Amino acid sequence: MTTAEFGSHNWGMVVDVDKCIGCNACVIACQAENNIPINTQDRVERARSISWIRVERYWEGDFPDAKARFIPIMCQHCENAPCEPVCPVYATYHNSEGNNVQVYNRCVGTRYCANACPYIVRFFNYWEPVWPESLRNHLNPDVTVRSRGIMEKCSFCVHRIRRGSRQARSEGHEVVDGAIQTACSTACPTSALNFGNFNDPNSKVSKMKEDQRHYTLLDQFATDPNVIYLAKIDADKKVGAGEAATHG
Amino acid sequence: MKLNRREFLALTGKTAAGAVIFAACGLPERELIVQSPVDLPEDLVRGEDAWYATSMGDFTNGDGVLVRVMQGRAKKIEGNPDHPVNRGKATARYDSALQLLYHPDRISEPMLRYSKNGNLVEISWDQADTRFKEALSNANGALTVVTNPLRGTLGSVASKFAAQYGGKHMAFDPVEQGVLHGAVKSVFGQDQLPTFDISNAHTVLSFGADWLGTWGSPAGNGVKYGEFREGDRGYLIHAEPRMSVTSAAADLWLAPIPGTEGVLALGIARVIVGEELVSDANLSAFNAVLPDGLNGYGIVDVANRTGVSIGKIEKAARHFADHTPSVAIGGGSAGAHTNGTFNLGAIYALNVLVGAVDAKGGVTANPGSALKDIPASATGASFEAWEAELAQWRAGNVETVIIRSANIVHGMPNSVAIREALGHVPNVIAFGAVHDDTMDFADLVLPEQTFLEAWGTDIPEPGPGYQVVGTQQPVVGPTISQDESGLISDARGFGDTLLAMSDGSYGSSMEGLVKDSLSDLHSTGSGSVSASSTSLFANGALQRGGWWDTSTGALSNVGKVNTSAKDAGYSDAGSAGSGTEFHLVPFVSNSLGDGRLASTPWAQQTPDPISSASWSTWAEINSKRADELGIKEGDVLLIRSTSGEIEALAYPHPGIRPDVIGIPMGQGHHKSGRYAEDRGSNVLSILVDEKDTVTGALAWAATKVKVQRAGRRVKVPKFEGNVEARPIEPGVPVLVVGVDETAHDAQEANHHEYQKNFLLDGEGGDDHE
Repeated sequence: MTTAEFGSHNWGMVVDVDKCIGCNACVIACQAENNIPINTQDRVERARSISWIRVERYWEGDFPDAKARFIPIMCQHCENAPCEPVCPVYATYHNSEGNNVQVYNRCVGTRYCANACPYIVRFFNYWEPVWPESLRNHLNPDVTVRSRGIMEKCSFCVHRIRRGSRQARSEGHEVVDGAIQTACSTACPTSALNFGNFNDPNSKVSKMKEDQRHYTLLDQFATDPNVIYLAKIDADKKVGAGEAATHG
Repeated sequence: MKLNRREFLALTGKTAAGAVIFAACGLPERELIVQSPVDLPEDLVRGEDAWYATSMGDFTNGDGVLVRVMQGRAKKIEGNPDHPVNRGKATARYDSALQLLYHPDRISEPMLRYSKNGNLVEISWDQADTRFKEALSNANGALTVVTNPLRGTLGSVASKFAAQYGGKHMAFDPVEQGVLHGAVKSVFGQDQLPTFDISNAHTVLSFGADWLGTWGSPAGNGVKYGEFREGDRGYLIHAEPRMSVTSAAADLWLAPIPGTEGVLALGIARVIVGEELVSDANLSAFNAVLPDGLNGYGIVDVANRTGVSIGKIEKAARHFADHTPSVAIGGGSAGAHTNGTFNLGAIYALNVLVGAVDAKGGVTANPGSALKDIPASATGASFEAWEAELAQWRAGNVETVIIRSANIVHGMPNSVAIREALGHVPNVIAFGAVHDDTMDFADLVLPEQTFLEAWGTDIPEPGPGYQVVGTQQPVVGPTISQDESGLISDARGFGDTLLAMSDGSYGSSMEGLVKDSLSDLHSTGSGSVSASSTSLFANGALQRGGWWDTSTGALSNVGKVNTSAKDAGYSDAGSAGSGTEFHLVPFVSNSLGDGRLASTPWAQQTPDPISSASWSTWAEINSKRADELGIKEGDVLLIRSTSGEIEALAYPHPGIRPDVIGIPMGQGHHKSGRYAEDRGSNVLSILVDEKDTVTGALAWAATKVKVQRAGRRVKVPKFEGNVEARPIEPGVPVLVVGVDETAHDAQEANHHEYQKNFLLDGEGGDDHE
C-alpha cells in the first residue's frame, strides 16, 4: 500500500535532530501516557527495559573538542515494515492511516517481529507488568496494560488520534493540523519532535520533510519509514568532510 | 550513473526485485493488508477527561501545567500552552512529580516520636494539632520555620507565621542561588532575576548554568532554544568543566578550570575590546561597570589560567561581538566558588559590552510582584547564615523548628553536623508527602498535600519580562486506597495548617488567600483575564493557570561588578588520604533534581542525558585520564574530601576535563521511600566548608577530592549499549551536515570517507559504480 492509497490521513513524524537536546522529556511523557512498566534497576542492567522512544547519545571526538550527539528513536511506522510479514498471526499490521499497529490480543509472542525490525524498537514483555497498588491510579484508561508474553511498541499514541478524530467529527470539521499530538511531541520543549499528517501538503510535517536536511534511518533497507529525520547542523563543519562518531 | 552502496540497496528494495523477495516468503502482498476484526482498546474512546491548569509548585521555577484527570484520578501532567514561561512544553520531571501523589510510601497519617530515640507512631490529627500548639507555645519566640525558597502565597504565609510567633523564616536550597541574585543586583540593579531573550539572540554565551537541563525553567528555556535554532540559526557557546545538556547542545564548548569562569569572561572581553569589535558607547558603559579595567586579562595569561585555548577564546569573543544580538548568561557551578560573585558579575558585564541590556535578543529586567506582600523572588539563606543558625540550635536557643520541603539532613555537608544540631532542638516538626532523611530527626511528622491537592500561587522566576501570577489549585481530592480501607493519605496543606495555627490576621485558608489575590488582580483592570465580576475573573484565571500582564515591564539600573575576590580558592585535599586529586564538580540531576524527586520511580529510571545511567550514583571521569589511572567503567571509586567519603561508579567519557570528576546530586538517601532508600551516594555530604567571599554562600564546586579505586567493579545501570547502534554509515550514527549542506551531500561525503578508510585498511570494497 502506498501513501496515496491511504484515506485523508497518513500520520507521521519529523524529528529535527538539530533541536534535540537529549533531555528525555519525551521518554517519560511516553512512559506515563502508555502505561509502560517501571524500568527497574534490574531490568535496565539486564537490557530488558521497555522504552517506546529512546534518546541515543553518541560521542564524537576527544576532549577538549568532544561532542555529544543525540537522536530520538521510536517505531518508524514503515510503509514496507519488515515486522509485518513475519508475524504468523497478523498481530502487527498496517492500518488505514499508514501506521504500523500492534494487536495485543492476537500476539502470541514469537518475537519474529522484533528480530525482523532493523530499528530495534519492539519490546517483549518478559514479565507481567507490576505497579504498586497506589501507583495504578495514574494508569491511562485509554491504553491497554500489556500482559506477559506479548510484544509492544510505539503506537504514535493511536488513542490520541482516535480521540482527536472523534472530536473533529463531532464538531463537524476535518482534523486541524497540529490538533492531534503524540505524548512525546507534546512534551518536547524544543519542538524537535513534530507529529502530523503527511497527506496534507500544507501540514507542518509535510513542509518540514521537504527540508534539505531530511533523511530516513537505514534508508538502504527500503523500509520507507513514516518518521523523517532532519540532520544535525554543525556550524563549524567543513562541508565535504565526513563525520565520525563512536558509540559509548 | 554512479550508485553508492546505500543507493544500490535502497533501489533494489524499492523496486520489483524487492517485491519478489517478499513474495518469495509465501505471502502475496494483498495478504498483508489485514484489518483488525474488532476494535482495539486503543481504538475506543472511553470516558471524558478534564484538564486542570495549575502550577508545578516546588518542582520548577513556576512553570504552568495542565493535569489530565479522569474519574477523580490525575493521569498526566503536560505543559500549559497558555502559560508565558514554558508555553505548553515539559521536562522529564513533570510526570515524575505526579508519582508523589500516588506514591506507595506516602505518609498516610500524622506521626509522633515520644522520645528523641523512639520510633514514630501514628496519631490522629487532633493529637497532632495539640502537639503542634504546645510546640508553638513552648517556643516563646525561639522558633524557626525552614522551607525551600518560596515565592507566591505560601512564601508570604510562612514568613508571616514565623513573624507572628516571634521567630524567623529561613529558606534552604542546597544549590544556593544567593550568589546569582547578588550578581544580578550589583550589575543590573534588580531584585528579580532577569529574562534572557534567547529566542531572538543570534549568539548565546553561557557559563556554568545548564539552562537547557536543570537551571531556571528548562522547559521554558527549551522553547526559546527551539526558536533560537530556527531561521537564521543562532550560535551557542557554553563554558562548563563537564559536558552538561547545554554543553552538548553548544556549537562551541569551552571547558575552563572550575572557578576561572570570570577570568574567561574578561579574557573574552579583552579580545573584543582589543579588536575594537564594539561601539565606543558600549565600551564606555562597560568601563563604568568594570572600573578595575581589563589589565591582567591578556589572552595568553587567560588561556593559561583557564585552561581554554587561545583559539577558542578568540573565536568565542569574535562570535559574541560580531553576531549580535548576543546575550551572556551565568550561574550554576560558575557561581559556586569562593569568587562566585566576581565570576557571575564579570559574565553579566559582557551584556553591557555588547549592548544587550534591556535590548531585544539580550537580557531584560523583570518587574516586581503584581501582588502586595507576595514575594516574586526567593533564594535560600546563605551557608554562612545557616552555620550561625545551627549554632543557635546547638546552644539550645531554638525551641521549635518547623521544616517543609527542605531536606536539610540530606542537603547539608557533613561539616555542619546537622543531625547533631537537630538533636538539640526539643520540637522538630516536619511536613512532607514521603518520608525523607530529615524526618528521621523529627518529633512530629505531618502528611502534607502535594501541589496537585493544595491551593497556592506562584510567581515564576525568572519571569518572561512582565508580571505573571501563576495559580495552583487542587486538581484531585483525597484518594481512596484501592482496597477502600481508607485514604492513601490524610494529608493537609502546609499553608492551611499554618493558618489554622495562626491568629487569623493574615488569612484563614489558602483558598481564601488565593481568591483574595485574584480579586486584587481583577481590580487592576488589566492583564490576560477580563471579567465583569470578581468570581468570573477568578474562574477565568484558574482556567488559564494564572494571570499575566504583557504591558508591564522593568528597566535595568546598571551598576558595578564586585571585584573584591577575583581568584578562586579550593579546599585542600592534601589531608584527605591517598589517591589522585581532582576538582569535584557536583551537578544537579536531570531527573532527580537536588534529590527532591528521588523517591519517584520515573525520576529514578530516567536515563541521564550524558551517561544514560539511572538508579545509581556515578562519577564522570575523562576517558584518557581514566586509562592513565587504570580506571574502567563500573569500578567503584572512593571519592574522599576532608569532609568525608562516598562511593560512586566510574563512568569514563571524553566530555569532561581531565582534572575534574563530576558527580550527580540526588541520591544517597537513608530514607525516601522504597525507590530511593539506601541507593547511591550523596555527593553533597562531602562538600567542604568553602564559601563565596562576598555573600557567604556555599561554594559547592570548590571542593577538591582524592579519588581511589575501591577494588570492586559492578555493572553501571545504564541504557547505553542496550541497543546496537544503527549507523547511517559505519561510524556515523547521527547524520551531521554543515550550514547549507544537504543531507544527501553529507551522506555522500560520509560514504566516500568510509570507502576511503575501508580501502586504506586493505580489506577491499565495492562502491557499486
